[in-house]
Amino acid sequence: MDRRNFLKILGSGVAGAATGNLLTPGRTLAKETPSAKEFYGILVDTTRCIGCRRCELGCAEVNGLPVPDISESKNENLLKTIRKTSDTQYTIINRYETEKGKIFVPKRCMHCNQPGCVAACLVKAMRKRPSGQVTWDLNCIGCRLCMISCPFDIPKFEYNKAIPRIQKCNLCYDRYNNGVLPACVEVCPTQALMFGSRKQILEEGKRRIAANPDKYIEHIYGEYEVGGTSHLYLSSVPFEQIGFRKDLGTVAYPKYSTGFLYAVPFIFVLWPIVMLGINRATKKSKEDEEHHEEKEKH
Amino acid sequence: MAGEKLETVEIVKEKGESPNIKNLGDFWNFLKKELVPRGHIATPFNIISLPIMLLGYVFIVLRLAYGLGKPVTNLNQEYPWGLWIGFDVVTGVAFAGGAYVLCFIVYVLRAEKYHPIIRATVLNGFLAYLFYAGAIVLDIGRWWNIYNPMIGNNFGVNAVMFLVAWHFFLYMLAALVEFSPTIAEWLGMKRLRKILGAMTLGAVIFGITLSTLHQSGLGALMMMAKSKIHPLWYTDFIPILYFVSSIFAGLSLVIFEGSISHKVFGHQLDEAHHKHYDDILVGLARICAVTMFGYLFLKAILLVHEHAVPYLNSAMGFWYLFEVIGFILIPCLMFISGAQQKNTATIKFAAILTMVGIILNRLNYTFIVYNWYVPLSEKYWPAPMELIITASIILTEVWVFRWMVNRMPVLRKPPAWAIEKH
Amino acid sequence: MEELFTYYDMFATKGVEYLIILAFLIVILAFWKFVNMKPH
Repeated sequence: MDRRNFLKILGSGVAGAATGNLLTPGRTLAKETPSAKEFYGILVDTTRCIGCRRCELGCAEVNGLPVPDISESKNENLLKTIRKTSDTQYTIINRYETEKGKIFVPKRCMHCNQPGCVAACLVKAMRKRPSGQVTWDLNCIGCRLCMISCPFDIPKFEYNKAIPRIQKCNLCYDRYNNGVLPACVEVCPTQALMFGSRKQILEEGKRRIAANPDKYIEHIYGEYEVGGTSHLYLSSVPFEQIGFRKDLGTVAYPKYSTGFLYAVPFIFVLWPIVMLGINRATKKSKEDEEHHEEKEKH
Repeated sequence: MAGEKLETVEIVKEKGESPNIKNLGDFWNFLKKELVPRGHIATPFNIISLPIMLLGYVFIVLRLAYGLGKPVTNLNQEYPWGLWIGFDVVTGVAFAGGAYVLCFIVYVLRAEKYHPIIRATVLNGFLAYLFYAGAIVLDIGRWWNIYNPMIGNNFGVNAVMFLVAWHFFLYMLAALVEFSPTIAEWLGMKRLRKILGAMTLGAVIFGITLSTLHQSGLGALMMMAKSKIHPLWYTDFIPILYFVSSIFAGLSLVIFEGSISHKVFGHQLDEAHHKHYDDILVGLARICAVTMFGYLFLKAILLVHEHAVPYLNSAMGFWYLFEVIGFILIPCLMFISGAQQKNTATIKFAAILTMVGIILNRLNYTFIVYNWYVPLSEKYWPAPMELIITASIILTEVWVFRWMVNRMPVLRKPPAWAIEKH
Repeated sequence: MEELFTYYDMFATKGVEYLIILAFLIVILAFWKFVNMKPH
């Protein structure tokens, strides 16, 4: 699946949006079935985002979340504060005042290449799918360590339900399996979002930066951050101005728990041996005396 | 469920004879007899604790009916873990560390001096796991799935939490085996007592290994919160700090619990025990002091290693120094002076200070310096119901502990047929 | 290049390692008895 195909798909998505039918079903990704060997993700071009919040609407419709009001007056009010994703909102648009004016930034799960939440899960309810989506399953026990382990604070817990779930963007995994674009990508009217294999979107991001060096800063957020993410961001201003943390480092998050996890099997073998040894060495000489006596008798 | 002070000498003497249990019916009759409260029921402790416990049980039902959030707890999306994990589980387990440390000293190093307090300590450790770690059932959101890590369809062998869960479970079994000879003595089962006694060393070594790993594992849970915990507290060596601090945390609780037990159950102890007890306290104080001394230097090394020295001169830095100087250095010095002057009052006070320090330290990691950049107004603070449920769980544990100590040879001498030979 | 983007589970071997530990804990009991056997 090449870039041109993608742009075509994006184009038809826009057409669908223009006729008022936000989510026309059955739009296929491409002829080829998606290769399971590569991660898929979204390239977010913040210079193109106009803050219409259609992605929020599309996302809510697809995932059965409360449908937000995206009228212009509402948007104007809402965007005054910086919001976070929640247990009822998988994706959020924020507006930042920067040196280059107002910039809109969609925020959702970054779908890390090596996700902390997946490494933290003791029942593999959080899973990194071979095609890149980080998804949540019902066998979760609700320990919420995924929330603690996520550098982007994405998994959200339903605190006010007797039967709670962890809620987060799953990059429309079901739609992907049916060969359909993620809802947010499909409804985006300005092609600010581009879906593709990580390789494709990374190349496209680099191409855009090279073609417009004055427009973009030379940094794709997510290329190296926390070991790389499947969500990539382009920006015209330094990322800290539009709400991104620059102190997360490039080490994949599961690496931080290797120190302990790799030591466990060693301790499990060494401790019993050492303690049996000490126990034997501190044994009162009673038995030894008996031995002596026996030897003397012989 | 008896009045704690009124366990009369007569009853103890009567208990000196072991019951003769031959079948399940005998056992049932014996248990029924043992479940009957003894002594005065209307003691001040009972009058205060019972309403709190009952209120806690009501709130537990509320939590199950309405979910984990408000009004029961103040947990939110910024602070997924609060008092129940931070205090009940993480701190509770650190306090239960006394059991594995004393088992190491008594069964592996064979320091017989500490033998008189081993049973109470192991019982305390076991009950702490049962109740405080058991409190995790309340805290996990989807508690009906709790068996998943054990017999579930997906073993998350990649997860620290997976190990902690398994280690908790297995350690509870090991602690039960360690304590089981006492139960066999209570029931008067001589053959069983012999078999269980022979399993002690294995259970102890297995238990110490498990304890090492899950004490440090509780620290390792926070490893992937690197971007959220203040750099003064976050280090690659959190697991080792947790392990080392569990040694003096556990022993401090042994000193604290022992000083209460000796007042309440003192009549169960013979004179020799009373005489030895101060000596035992002094020994424990020395171990605490030395461990804390080492811990202080670990902290100093890590401060430099993590390039965290510049943060000392900030509000968070003062909080850090408050914790390290106020609740590690000062109790460490008090333990030393208490041990030297054989002043048990100083030792007991130092133990209390150390325990406060451990509570602070563990809560720091779970919610105080976790997300430290969040403004004070948005910070998590335990809700009243959370506190009452926690108090209710602790009091229930104390009641069960009291029931067992009053009926089983935990503090008093075991029956003559079961005197251990080493 | 593609290799870069496929998932690599750094804990994939842990399950087997834990099974080895289980075996170790069982075997060491017999082993310890054997080591401490009194010479005839």
